[in-house]
Amino acid sequence: METFSCHWTDGDVHNHTAPRTMQLLYMKRGDEEWKECPDYVTAGENSCYFNTSYTSVWIPYCVKLANENKVFDEKCFSVDEIVLPDPPINLNWTLLNISLTGIHVDIQVRWEPPPTADVRKGWVTLEYELQYKEVNETKWKELEPVCSTTVPLYSLKMGRDYEIRIRSRQRTSEKFGEFSETLSVSFSMASEAVLCAEEIQFPWLFIVIFGTCGLVVVMFLILFSKQRLKMLILPPIPAPKIKGIDPDLLKKGKLEEVNSILASHDSYKPQLYNDDLWVEFIELDIDDPDEKTEGSDTDRLLSDAHMKSHSCLGVKDDDSGRASCCEPDMPETDFSASDTCDGTSDTDQSKKISEKEETLLCLDQKDNNKSFTNLDDPANQQLISQSEDNQSRPPFADSIESLSPVPPVRTQLSNQSSVTNIDFYAQVSDITPAGSVVLSPGQKNKTGRAQCEAHTEPAAQCQSNFTMDNAYFCEADVKKCIAVTSHEEVEPHVQDQSFNEDTYFTTESLTTTAVNPSTAAEEASSSEMPVPDYTSIHIVHSPQGLVLNATALPVPDKEFMVSCGYVSTDQLNKIMP
Amino acid sequence: MITTMNNKGASLKGVLLVFLLISNMFLTKKSVTSLPICPSGSVNCQVSLGELFDRAVKLSHYIHFLSSEMFNEFDERYAQGRGFITKAVNGCHTASLTTPEDKEQAQQIHHEDLLNLVLGVLRSWNDPLLHLVTEVQRIKEAPNTILWKAAEIEEQNKRLLEGMEKIVGRVQPGDTGNEVYSRWSGLPSLQLADEDSRLFAFYNLLHCLRRDSHKIDNYLKLLKCRLIHDSNC
Repeated sequence: METFSCHWTDGDVHNHTAPRTMQLLYMKRGDEEWKECPDYVTAGENSCYFNTSYTSVWIPYCVKLANENKVFDEKCFSVDEIVLPDPPINLNWTLLNISLTGIHVDIQVRWEPPPTADVRKGWVTLEYELQYKEVNETKWKELEPVCSTTVPLYSLKMGRDYEIRIRSRQRTSEKFGEFSETLSVSFSMASEAVLCAEEIQFPWLFIVIFGTCGLVVVMFLILFSKQRLKMLILPPIPAPKIKGIDPDLLKKGKLEEVNSILASHDSYKPQLYNDDLWVEFIELDIDDPDEKTEGSDTDRLLSDAHMKSHSCLGVKDDDSGRASCCEPDMPETDFSASDTCDGTSDTDQSKKISEKEETLLCLDQKDNNKSFTNLDDPANQQLISQSEDNQSRPPFADSIESLSPVPPVRTQLSNQSSVTNIDFYAQVSDITPAGSVVLSPGQKNKTGRAQCEAHTEPAAQCQSNFTMDNAYFCEADVKKCIAVTSHEEVEPHVQDQSFNEDTYFTTESLTTTAVNPSTAAEEASSSEMPVPDYTSIHIVHSPQGLVLNATALPVPDKEFMVSCGYVSTDQLNKIMP
Repeated sequence: MITTMNNKGASLKGVLLVFLLISNMFLTKKSVTSLPICPSGSVNCQVSLGELFDRAVKLSHYIHFLSSEMFNEFDERYAQGRGFITKAVNGCHTASLTTPEDKEQAQQIHHEDLLNLVLGVLRSWNDPLLHLVTEVQRIKEAPNTILWKAAEIEEQNKRLLEGMEKIVGRVQPGDTGNEVYSRWSGLPSLQLADEDSRLFAFYNLLHCLRRDSHKIDNYLKLLKCRLIHDSNC
């Protein structure tokens, strides 16, 4: 059943006078001469048809187009290479499934191989290529050639009409035969209800919107990069407030803020004082000595009365010199810059106890040094007068605060008011940059025995800016307190009042109480001594307190001086048994 | 100790399993057809003729596909513009074997004869394919695909020959017959110094190979339909 035909085009034949004399000659391999085309008619114009008898597969042929003696074209081939199968027949389709959305459809297309190709016996092996398109489209979509006579077609759209056509070729050839008849597939009937515009176009709208938002955000950030506005919109998270005052405030010297902070702090209530300059005198309540001296100052000082430390250093500032330490109903007063007890207002709570102790020690030495030098210095007076110097106070305040537990003393102080018409407390007039404290000279006749409640805050001094664990107290207050408490087994160190004649009252002199009750007794006796204004702190018994530089006590000045800087408590311990 | 033994056992099993898998992979890669049901060497086991024909048809189908592709590649790469095709009237070395030239002839010929002819053609190609594999490597910048295809065709041809000999042994038991085949003498032409001539020799050889593999494929399919399905394919 194999036949083949050759077709030629005229091309340049127009120039020829006799176009009809074209001849097609062929020669099979094995022939000796060229033969003429057996059939010029069957295949149409300009063709040569070779029927089955002339067709041999796998035999090379050569054909040439000649006119008389002129050869126009020549070609050699074998029939198996030029096979173009007939198109498939009997196309039909079946529904595979419809998508859940009802928009897409899958179908299976089936056909039959051309009858002229004996595919069944395997004489010809065919490949098929399916093409389809929507009715209103112009371009056909192609599928990959398949060897089977059926192929699925996926994702056709409901509501549209499609056309399908198939063509075939021999498996190892390259040329396809003619297309089959077009198969029409129609879905428009079944889909009246579903009319979704499924085709998503490029989402320009979304892009524009999001782009605009992004630009706005960027502009926002740029514009508000200024600090102020930034602060408005994104206020900085306040740093955690520890009990006490923000160290930064202290560094900046913003006492007003510090005072306000302190004022607002509950624990400091009792310690707040008014703006009055604290007076030299503190009136101590001695009414209920028993009541309030229970738990002697020493004990209170000794114990970790951190809480008390907060409460008890405030001493009311009173011109009359009367101060009641630790009165529960003491009105809250703001710490003012004028408060001598700067320490209270400016306490840097963040400072550690050790630091304070060291500071104190250092102060001591420096004060000692300075005290000597300043005795005759008019500068001293100036310094003293600088009672309002805020800036110098903080360090002293710190040092004072590092004095340990005064709280128990406070109550006692409050009780014993009368005792003190002495300069039990010295007003801190200034704090030198070196860290030493400048106290204003107090009255000479101090009774060292003012029962100082552990709260030794002379008038507004020593407001305790208590650090968390320490009570600040002014030296003078401490002195007094210590002196007072010495009655109650408070360490008499305080009393020792080895008040130097120094104008400086070093914190060292404020030996805290309660370190050695034993010594209290012996020093109690010295209570009658004229209490100097200042006492140098001799030893710091951390954390409990400081050992004032009692006259009885050796003052290893040398050691201190050597290491100032800072003398650690260990050193102190070495010095003092 | 017991645990180590168990571990060893488990590891051995694992190794064995892996080995089996890999060997299976290799086997399937090599073989176009499925593994024989009968292990080699067994006497009583008999694969059915239909199974044999199935395998033979698959092999011939594959060989023709490879030859066709190889020829197309070669043609594209080396033969463009050289006018080889007009010269490809030259007969193939297997032309001496008179094979049916159309379907009618193929249907009329006796199946035994046809089988013998197939065997003859396959035998005739043993030698040329062997040389093709070695000589094609000497072509300047021969692409790997051509090299690989040549090797593959050569090997599959051997297997097809074996299969056909088995089939012939079944269909015509005891008939050794003449081992008719065409001798190939084209080796010198593949080794010509002149590149054009050499390439033309290759072109010719590949052209003949494509044609002969097509012949064999068609004959075998016809035979299969005729013998196995009684012409009711």
